[in-house]
Amino acid sequence: MATMIPSIGEKRGKQIVYTIEECMSCGEKKKRAFTLGDYVYKKGGQCNKCSGSILITMIYAEPMKATQ
Amino acid sequence: MLPMQLGPGQFGDNTLYLLLFYLPFLLFLFYGQRIQAFMILGEVSRALGKLKIMRERSRKEVIDYLVNHLKPKSDPQEQVDQLLEYFTIMPVDLDPSGIVKKIEHVVTVRNDRIRSEIRRLAPETDLVKVSTAENILEAASSINYIYKLVRHFYLLGKRTSNIYILVQLQMIMPMILQEADALVNALEAFKLSQPIGDGIGPMVVGRMMLNHEKLDISKDTVMVKTEYKDRSLYLIKAVGPGGNVGEPGNAVERLINEMGVKINSVIMIDAALKLEGEKTGEVAEGVGAAIGGIGVDRFKIEEVATKMNIPLYAVVIKQSLIDAISVMRKEIAEAADKVTKIVYRLIEEKTQPHDNVLIVGVGNTLGVAQ
Ligand SMILES: [Zn+2]
Repeated sequence: MATMIPSIGEKRGKQIVYTIEECMSCGEKKKRAFTLGDYVYKKGGQCNKCSGSILITMIYAEPMKATQ
Repeated sequence: MLPMQLGPGQFGDNTLYLLLFYLPFLLFLFYGQRIQAFMILGEVSRALGKLKIMRERSRKEVIDYLVNHLKPKSDPQEQVDQLLEYFTIMPVDLDPSGIVKKIEHVVTVRNDRIRSEIRRLAPETDLVKVSTAENILEAASSINYIYKLVRHFYLLGKRTSNIYILVQLQMIMPMILQEADALVNALEAFKLSQPIGDGIGPMVVGRMMLNHEKLDISKDTVMVKTEYKDRSLYLIKAVGPGGNVGEPGNAVERLINEMGVKINSVIMIDAALKLEGEKTGEVAEGVGAAIGGIGVDRFKIEEVATKMNIPLYAVVIKQSLIDAISVMRKEIAEAADKVTKIVYRLIEEKTQPHDNVLIVGVGNTLGVAQ
């Protein structure tokens, strides 16, 4: 029964997609809006604090309400 | 004596009033079912209208993606319509011995055919764009199929005035609409190449693979060999950031049978459909081959694990259908750390130093590199 009717889930409202960048040296995290061409584990840029290399560690969607 | 409040008594012998009073009862008695059928028909037809809009939209998305990203030489409309109707005949299961090989063959031919059609349409060689187009096309043809199936039963019920067909359709309609909605959501993620909920397995393994040399082990699948606390780790995932699921079954088979690596434990990480009421992003542990799909990969992994007597451990991340195929939710992305910890704990608890441990990240690796 459970396999026949899985949880389809609630209808999603408007979502904003964020990209989380992390500095590999000092662990500084930055959250910004997703831009086309981003993907998880993409290397790029330098850290403002320690000039270490930056890696995208997460891309996720959050409901619009949470940010307001 | 109190005057009667109801009934024809107070109207005396007026037959007109008598008729007016009983008419609705008679109407419902003899035509109740027809009236009900009429109302259900209206409801189902509204839902069908919604599905039709979704279908048109998804078709347009496919064409837009092809035109904008793959730059075809000619107008792709006609060919897209043809690809949306593309069907696969599954092998006969009267004599099921050896059927997995046949299923694998048919599915491989199908995938190769679709890929070559897209390539033919647009000679663009960017693999990420081609696999994205494949994903979008697949979602769009699912929506197309749902629409056609619902339309079939709607017309059948209407033409034969069969209320039972219509009632059944009406009952499952909310779920069908939700599923179609989930697919439309998926299109959104696909065309922007954003990671989807199903990509959590590859995301966990991809992180472990960073900065190591990758080896192509089967179609669209890579392997990395690394060390952890005196154990050798063999990591397998589909090649990202394109929307691939790879061939983990073949990869495991090849590693153990052809390359002759003696594996002591297999740990599989996958997204799993949750039950209503369970929390999204919840992590659960178990045993067995954690891998969905048509069953070919699962069969191969189970087969080789049984033959070599290798224990299979599974770590799954719970999510609903809509979450699995839409942009990854925060709760799921944040479960990655927890899963990684569980994997390392499993390695420490369930294996000995100098063991070979195989870790497979199962799922669509769209938007997740390694
Ligand atoms: Zn830094």
